[in-house]
Amino acid sequence: MSIEVSGGRRGLTDPALAATILAAIPDQPLETQRKMNYFMTPRGKRINEYEVLCCYTQPTPDWIPGGLDWGDWTQKFHGGRPSWSNESTEMRSSDWLKHRDPAFRWHALYVKDKAEEWRYTDRFLKAYSADGQVRSMDPVWRDEVLGDYLGAFGFSEYGLFNSHSSVVRDCLGDTLRMSSAMIGLDKVDNAQMIQMERTFLAKLVPGFPESTDIPKNEWTKGAIFKGSREVVQQIWQETYDWNEILFSGHMIYDPLFGQFVRREFFSRLSSYYGDTLTPFFINQMQLYFSQTKGITTDMFHTCLASDEAFGDYNTRLMHVWANKWLPRTITALKDFMGIFAKIPEIQGVTDKPAIEAALNRVFDDWKHDFADPIGYKADTAALIKTVLTGLK
Amino acid sequence: MAISAATKAATDALAVNRAPVSVGAQEVHRWMQSFTWDFEKNRTKYSTKYKMANDTKEQFKLIAKEYARMESVKDERQFGSLQDVLTRVDAANRVHPKWNESMKVISNFLEVGEYNAIAATGMLWDSATAPEQKNGYLGQVLDEIRHTNQCGYINYYFAKQGQDAAGHNDARRTRAIGPLWKGMKRVFSDGFISGDAVECSINLQLVGEACFTNPLIVAVTEWASANGDEMTPTVFLSIETDELRHMANGYQTVVSIANDAAASKYLNTDLNNAFWTQQKYFTPVLGMMFEYGSHFKVEPWVKTWNRWVYEDWGGIWIGRLGKYGVQSPASLRDAKKDAYWAHHDLFMLAYALWPTGFFRLTLPTAEEAEWYEANYPGWYDMYGKVYEEWKARGCEDPNSGFLPLQWFIENNHPIYIDRVSQVPFCPSYCKGASTLRVLEFNGKKHSFSDQWGERMWLSEPERYECQNIFEQYEGRELSEVIAEGHGLRSDGKTLISQPHTNKDGKLWTLDDIKKINCVFSDPLKAL
Ligand SMILES: [Fe+2]
Ligand SMILES: [Fe+2]
Repeated sequence: MSIEVSGGRRGLTDPALAATILAAIPDQPLETQRKMNYFMTPRGKRINEYEVLCCYTQPTPDWIPGGLDWGDWTQKFHGGRPSWSNESTEMRSSDWLKHRDPAFRWHALYVKDKAEEWRYTDRFLKAYSADGQVRSMDPVWRDEVLGDYLGAFGFSEYGLFNSHSSVVRDCLGDTLRMSSAMIGLDKVDNAQMIQMERTFLAKLVPGFPESTDIPKNEWTKGAIFKGSREVVQQIWQETYDWNEILFSGHMIYDPLFGQFVRREFFSRLSSYYGDTLTPFFINQMQLYFSQTKGITTDMFHTCLASDEAFGDYNTRLMHVWANKWLPRTITALKDFMGIFAKIPEIQGVTDKPAIEAALNRVFDDWKHDFADPIGYKADTAALIKTVLTGLK
Repeated sequence: MAISAATKAATDALAVNRAPVSVGAQEVHRWMQSFTWDFEKNRTKYSTKYKMANDTKEQFKLIAKEYARMESVKDERQFGSLQDVLTRVDAANRVHPKWNESMKVISNFLEVGEYNAIAATGMLWDSATAPEQKNGYLGQVLDEIRHTNQCGYINYYFAKQGQDAAGHNDARRTRAIGPLWKGMKRVFSDGFISGDAVECSINLQLVGEACFTNPLIVAVTEWASANGDEMTPTVFLSIETDELRHMANGYQTVVSIANDAAASKYLNTDLNNAFWTQQKYFTPVLGMMFEYGSHFKVEPWVKTWNRWVYEDWGGIWIGRLGKYGVQSPASLRDAKKDAYWAHHDLFMLAYALWPTGFFRLTLPTAEEAEWYEANYPGWYDMYGKVYEEWKARGCEDPNSGFLPLQWFIENNHPIYIDRVSQVPFCPSYCKGASTLRVLEFNGKKHSFSDQWGERMWLSEPERYECQNIFEQYEGRELSEVIAEGHGLRSDGKTLISQPHTNKDGKLWTLDDIKKINCVFSDPLKAL
């Protein structure tokens, strides 16, 4: 038989080819170790599929801790800057490949979840519209708050999304890179969901402006988002250290500003204004927030702050970064307080004690989840007091 | 419209039409371009000499959720096939052993490209200014994570179910020992991520994906299936469905800079360098994997190469970009010469260095020798004869004490490594176009095998400083290097790499290598 086979003949099914192949295969497998990546240290008891498919895909040399390769880079930036280097961050690690997404999501699991969310979103919107639920929505809430301010908040999510691009380029580990891309995608998803809600409202409510013009004007020129716009711009474009980008965005700004805006403002208040639509979208964002929290606390607390060699140093650096980004975030929140003057007041809901209680929930959560684990001391009562001075 | 009137209008609208309404992905996407805003420090962190236009559009109008839906449908099909019918028919144990070995390399090396493409498209997402263009690159970031995982899945599957797990199960650790690895890093790793962002896009999308992805991903599925492997087509064809979007990204990158004056100055040089960089490695390595890593042959590599690289890419694809001033690379003609002999030259060196691999290599059988001679007249006199000599000296037998590397030393045919591509070459015994050029810089010698790489190095030597395996291993004994690089099977004695795939043949151990006392030297020192 000729060894050149044409016409798409397949060795698995073509009897002549299959006979030749089977005759060449050893009677017993040549190797008993069948576990891929058997040499690695798993996070749990056994190496899981996520670890098999993601870990050690990063081809760094051993002078970047965790790498298995040796030597130099084969091509560098103009001028000789290396492809990846320890200097890209001030954080230090004994093993840059140690991070794990606590949900162990590799690509297929990540997109499966999001695909389900999309299908359900589509069905939900159909039911919501056919049910005529939009009739119960308070018109000021709908046109002013959702039309302008929710739309404007979309830019905060979009800016944070873009802050992940250089992290995806520069970070020093495979699981870090994949996690960063995924939490980045969730942020653009949030921005898109906000526009989706506005487009949906425009379909149901004749005259509701779908365009991004008014929200963008609010975001770029208005007072309510001035502080947050500045922080987002600084995280996105002024910060080069990829760890600082992740820390400032996900350990300071979003758990405080993002959480207050999403959970304590839009989600909490919407039901009081007859809005059953916004919580549907916000709750997806809250799911992403909690998944992201799992990821970034693993990066900063489980890995960097607990690093055997560099944990103390890293913790000190996190304190420095917190000192830098916390005041900016407080300013962002303080500016945002201006929004309460724009909505019809509801006793016990939008008055000062209710706002203070909401801020307390957010700061308590932040202290518990983000500050305490690295021993960061913040006078949250004083911070809340500062924020409240923004009430008009 | 007044607020109360709007509410009334909503109620009236509902009275007329109670049909369920939703929002499609494209209805959201059409607002994407307005998601960004101007501010003083809004600029990329990665400099490029080109200017990407602010209004660049993308062709595939995806949003995050729709992207996820599309990909998860493809995943269901693909993983369904792998886990269901292919496992039930024991497909991994019906693959020709030679091909089982090739997939250790192909899948893992492609994984490196996919992985680095994540970072590369992260950089492009940062460099682009238009939100739609950013969105196109973002989609690719996620795709490349998918492809990284998929390539890993092939090795994972073969390790778990196949006939020889060694190498599949630890490629990410043992790949760094041998002579093919650093060259792989140049094309698929650093070439994608280190440089001018647009230059990297040209390397990744315009050349890597548009030119070599076709042979790599599509042709490989034909060779795989001829040799009994249905896992690889299942996965690689699913990867390929994403690649159209990536080629479109590359196309859009060129469109986005077309009106910039820098484009007319630099674009064709960058393209020529990128083409040469990619072809210098892929032309020989792909040809070698296909022809020498299979039992059943689909067609001579030179034919595949001419069709896909020369005609489809050099002609049609580059032709389509002609209106933006893009020209066919000047180095294409030299590459065409490489496509005939370079993979035969490289296999000879790879086989000579077989103990440093993470796979088993096989010398051509008599019927394969006939096939080579028929398709590459002159093959026997140059290569076939030598392989017969090596076999006669027992190169497959662990008791022979013979490594083909010794033949090169005995016959005074030193093997060098090209500094820029990191591809090994033997100028005194080759049929390809390699010629030895040696230059000195900062007290260090550098060897080159062609004018294109030498030119790149001459204009920017600081970009290509990487030491090669001979410099790294100089003075060290081979078995030591293998042990240190974890080139052993789980019994702690037998090598992962072997010089044959004969099922009754004996396997080499570390002791067999140690007995030979082969010590590495740096050929540049002898000059
Ligand atoms: Fe890919
Ligand atoms: Fe790609």
